[in-house]
Amino acid sequence: MMRKSPMKQESRQTISGVDFKEYFQPESIQKALEIRAEYGDQIEVAAGSTDLLVANYEKLHEIKYWLDLVKLDQLKKIEVIDNELHIGAMVTHLQLMKSDLIKKNLAVLAAAAEDVGSPQIRSRGTIGGNICTSSPAGDLLAPLLSYGASFKLQSTEGERIVKAEEFFTGPKRNSMETDELLTEIIIPLTDNKREGSWIKVGRRKALVISTLTLAVVLEFEGEKIVKAGIAMGSVAPTPVRLKGIEAVMVDQKLTDLDYKALGREVKASINPIDDLRGTKEYREDVAVDVMVRALKEIERKVSS
Amino acid sequence: MAKLDVELKVNGEDYKLQVGSQERLLDTIREQLKLTGTKEGCSVGECGACTVIVDDQAVNSCMVLTAQVDGSKIITVEGLESKSGLHPLQKAFIEKQAVQCGFCTPGMLMSALALLNTNPEPSKEEIKTALEGNLCRCTGYQQIIDAVEMAAEEWGG
Repeated sequence: MMRKSPMKQESRQTISGVDFKEYFQPESIQKALEIRAEYGDQIEVAAGSTDLLVANYEKLHEIKYWLDLVKLDQLKKIEVIDNELHIGAMVTHLQLMKSDLIKKNLAVLAAAAEDVGSPQIRSRGTIGGNICTSSPAGDLLAPLLSYGASFKLQSTEGERIVKAEEFFTGPKRNSMETDELLTEIIIPLTDNKREGSWIKVGRRKALVISTLTLAVVLEFEGEKIVKAGIAMGSVAPTPVRLKGIEAVMVDQKLTDLDYKALGREVKASINPIDDLRGTKEYREDVAVDVMVRALKEIERKVSS
Repeated sequence: MAKLDVELKVNGEDYKLQVGSQERLLDTIREQLKLTGTKEGCSVGECGACTVIVDDQAVNSCMVLTAQVDGSKIITVEGLESKSGLHPLQKAFIEKQAVQCGFCTPGMLMSALALLNTNPEPSKEEIKTALEGNLCRCTGYQQIIDAVEMAAEEWGG
């Protein structure tokens, strides 16, 4: 995309300085989109800043243009519209884990939010930031894939809805254009019984970047699985949805499934790497075990 | 050098400040307000030594720009003590010998205060979760947890 040259509009209140050029803190989405359109990839978009300030820890002074979304209160809401849950991009992890709407309908997402970083990070970090950072280890990403979430990307030209599994294109890369902002996360609700499991594997409980995550969401009609959402983090260049395994499970009863065989399918469907958080072999072996554990957990929840 | 205008209420007092765009809340608290009880440890959100309370929630002050908390109410460790003396949390930390080198203590106190403000009767597990973002390298966690329990009993309960 062509970078548009910054041009200052008189109506806009900005301050320029030696240590930075401009810091924008718009109070409307429209204004934010206009600034984003004007500055494109020259501007650093700040949500909760819990990733941004770490990534730029020694070079904050190099950032010349800031677009701070903190005053966009419209993006801090969680609401139901037409049988879909709409989560504003500036909703924090703390909000997600406390929200009755999320706990009731998206328990796996609430559990993942509770496992992010520490209380200090959960109180500032946002769902939109987690998505836009697009780390393969982002804790909310596997749950979002499992629930079939879509992302609303807005620009001054209009808006488009992108499915979560099409959004992530590589480690810390995504399909967002430089004039776009993520404004909403949309997740379909269902009248079916939904049960799920969230498993995060890491070296310690708190403040840990995941070695592997698994989110399983199953929808039941009676005992029959009518929809399956299975996704993992930290096992491939992007968070991945395991559609092959989902297909095997649909129209089956949980009790008819061979958990261990499904676990081996999971192992065969992922492509992990060696890194400082674990080896490829370790992740593959753990993938089998967590799949079995997740299905057993759902079995317990369904039968109770 | 042009700056951004920011208004903060820190430990009950109103401040009108000018900050650079890259100025972290931690820098403002220590360098501008000279409240050096808040410590800089890792600078990347791992250790919790810089924890303060922003609008009732524990926040790593190294991970937020001051401009982002414009208009907020902030409490630092200096805000604990009042005219009537030490805060029950401070007394409990002394009583239970929860301080060794002391570097993590301000952050621990702030995380504990954020907990007790919303949950006056926490379980041991809830205390551990509230403190999970704070590292103590003298490894005296047990005494710290004991101190928070004691403060909860005397103050909250």
